Amino acid sequence: MNITYDHSGFFDEMYQADGTPRPHYAKLVETLSSLSDTDFKTRKEAVELAFLQQGITFTVYGNEESTEKIFPFDLIPRIIPASEWAHLEKGLIQRMTALNLFLHDVYHEQKIVKDGIVPIEVLQSGKHFRKEMVGFEPPKGIYIHICGTDLIRDHKGDYLVLEDNGRCPSGVSYMIENRRAMKKAFPLLFPVSGARSITDYPDKLHKALEYVAPFDGDATIAVLTPGIYNSAYFEHCFLARQMGAEIVQGQDLVVNDDDCLYMKTTVGLKRVDVLYRRIDDDFIDPEVFRKDSVLGVPGLMRAYRAGNLSLANAIGTGIADDKVTYCFVPDMIKYYLDQDPILPNVETFLPYRDKDMKYVQENMENLVVKAANEAGGYGMLIGPHATKAEIADFREKVKKHPRDFIAQPPISLSRHPTYCDGGLDGRHVDLRPYILQSDKVRVIPGGLTRVALRKGSLVVNSSQGGGSKDTWVLNADQ
Amino acid sequence: MLCRVADSLFWMSRYIERAENTVRLVDVTHQTLLETEHSGDGAGYSHWEPTLLTLGDKAAYDTLYSERSSFNVTEFLTFNRDNPSSVYSCIASARENARTIRDQISTEMWETLNKLYLFVKRADAQKVCSESDFEFFARIKEFSHLFRGILESTFPQDIGYEYVVCGREIERAVKTCQILDTKRHMPSMVKKVDDALDAVQFAAILRSCTGFEAFHHEYGSDLDATPVRQFLLLSRKFPRSALFCIKRLQSSMHAISGCPITHFSNTSERLTGRLLSTLNYALAEDVQGKNGDKMIDTIKAELGAIAIAFSRQYMAAEIYDPELEQSQSQS
Repeated sequence: MNITYDHSGFFDEMYQADGTPRPHYAKLVETLSSLSDTDFKTRKEAVELAFLQQGITFTVYGNEESTEKIFPFDLIPRIIPASEWAHLEKGLIQRMTALNLFLHDVYHEQKIVKDGIVPIEVLQSGKHFRKEMVGFEPPKGIYIHICGTDLIRDHKGDYLVLEDNGRCPSGVSYMIENRRAMKKAFPLLFPVSGARSITDYPDKLHKALEYVAPFDGDATIAVLTPGIYNSAYFEHCFLARQMGAEIVQGQDLVVNDDDCLYMKTTVGLKRVDVLYRRIDDDFIDPEVFRKDSVLGVPGLMRAYRAGNLSLANAIGTGIADDKVTYCFVPDMIKYYLDQDPILPNVETFLPYRDKDMKYVQENMENLVVKAANEAGGYGMLIGPHATKAEIADFREKVKKHPRDFIAQPPISLSRHPTYCDGGLDGRHVDLRPYILQSDKVRVIPGGLTRVALRKGSLVVNSSQGGGSKDTWVLNADQ
Repeated sequence: MLCRVADSLFWMSRYIERAENTVRLVDVTHQTLLETEHSGDGAGYSHWEPTLLTLGDKAAYDTLYSERSSFNVTEFLTFNRDNPSSVYSCIASARENARTIRDQISTEMWETLNKLYLFVKRADAQKVCSESDFEFFARIKEFSHLFRGILESTFPQDIGYEYVVCGREIERAVKTCQILDTKRHMPSMVKKVDDALDAVQFAAILRSCTGFEAFHHEYGSDLDATPVRQFLLLSRKFPRSALFCIKRLQSSMHAISGCPITHFSNTSERLTGRLLSTLNYALAEDVQGKNGDKMIDTIKAELGAIAIAFSRQYMAAEIYDPELEQSQSQS
């Protein structure tokens, strides 16, 4: 098949500026060139049918017709050479360590505030700061057990951190299923690819959850899901099944007078020791948080605070992945670890500071404006692509609620060859590696590469027409 | 096992059985229509009315359709999404139950059910309803048999399996009674001008229960009311007879509780045992004429009560304490 396309104008993952493939893509280029168009198409169709029949789908909100969709999967893998990954891994471990230290600090002495590094308003106005967690010591002192950090590359190919997802990061099941699909589609590619294995993720997750069990010995672990209508339900089931854990919904659980959490089984109640919860803080316990929540379990916080139950992630981690807090992560790294940040942030303006507000208001058409506490690409403005009316609307919103927004210059995300409309073309990608914290921090050698399938689009979220790719982290540099 | 998981296994299984039975009813009625001389769609409808009556769906049909036609009834029973017991709705519900317990069932079970759902969802309803598409109905029946085979060979045969059996056998027994009951609503001739009509009707009933050949094995060619009823209600060998289903139901229920079959440890076991002995000790005269009508009604009502008691016992959100239950049943 033809593997050339216009790769100019952006940092291209596969081709160097002079038109030769980067060394770590050489083998792939060779394999792809030897394939016929028909052969490639047949493999692609087989993979898509398999995804649909296996029901590897996600739910799109606000779309009544066909709410279950397959996550579009692109057959051209994204490849990261070993030395590049070593750099990322170091940077991610550093960041994860700092975020956990920050959370412990803000829920205890708040030294970072007293020392004037992070302004108190950031905490006071943070929607996800949980006063219920003040003074509480979570098991082993860990707050974020599972993190999915979004990385992007700028026009020079430098990696930048776009956001930290420290609440309930999703997508890891696609990382595993994508690898499985690739192996099925191109079995001969794998023995020679040099790609590191990621399939033991569920096992690593299981160990990380066991690590925080309230006591030694066999702990009962369960995955708490909002249910089948949640966009990530497939993933919740997938992880539970792979870990051999129970998958539970709020209705299956009860907290008794002894402040322990139980599952309702056909032969009576059974104790649950560790809950990998995929429900946000707001909905998890109507006794403490939102009263109208039917997804959670009344009394869950009682069990948690009594030390009879461990939660992953801890309650209150949202204050660390707040997009305003994000701006202070490089300062945190310096403050807690006395190191220079290995992975830089994207330059960010905070409208709640007067000078930033002025700049944002004046330059909105050149900025990307994001809601500080939304996920999934909802509630965001891409200035250069927005209409006058949309910009005016956001000007108002930002003026009214300065703390709820941040603004960043648009980054020309790197592009990656992607199969669209019968041939290859460059599409913008990001990268979400997954990081686990237990006795130490472990970065899974791979991740989810998301790709904006629409030409020119910078939005990679699955809810906004994004797809994904298998991500190979190589043992070597080529 | 979580109560919710037990509930989903039970209903997944029940919905698949329900879909399969409805498909068979629709398919057989279509075939019978082809054997019968009738002019126009109005006459066609008269063959469907007994089915609607016995399924208890006639009122629902009349609110959804203004015109009574063979096409519309087929659409109603097969594809209509507003009819909760249409084949489509049953398969969608079975799949939804399976989806909530995807981590519990085998990948093969899930994928088969998902494929069945995609098959029905993408079928050309217009074509199926106007052309008596046997191929379409045959595929659904095959899927159901495939699912059963996959269940037997991939699903661990422990407690969860017993819930699947309970759901299937309750539904199957109810459906056999309902199909048998269609005869009560079928047009009968005042004078016996056409002996063949009864025979055609009984043959259709037996075919709807896949019992046509098995019946002839057991009873020869005597297509008459009493032997057909004896066969479908009381046969000890035929896997769709009411007695056979209830016997299986009983053994699965007791496998769940661990209580010996000679005793009972809860209401659903007591009701099942009682119903089973009514059938076990029935005579030919108990299924004749009005007695038989009464027996069919009793079986249907008792199965309803059993399903409620069973679900209260194991699937209700109420907290169930086996020790407390034991002391109650002993006192």
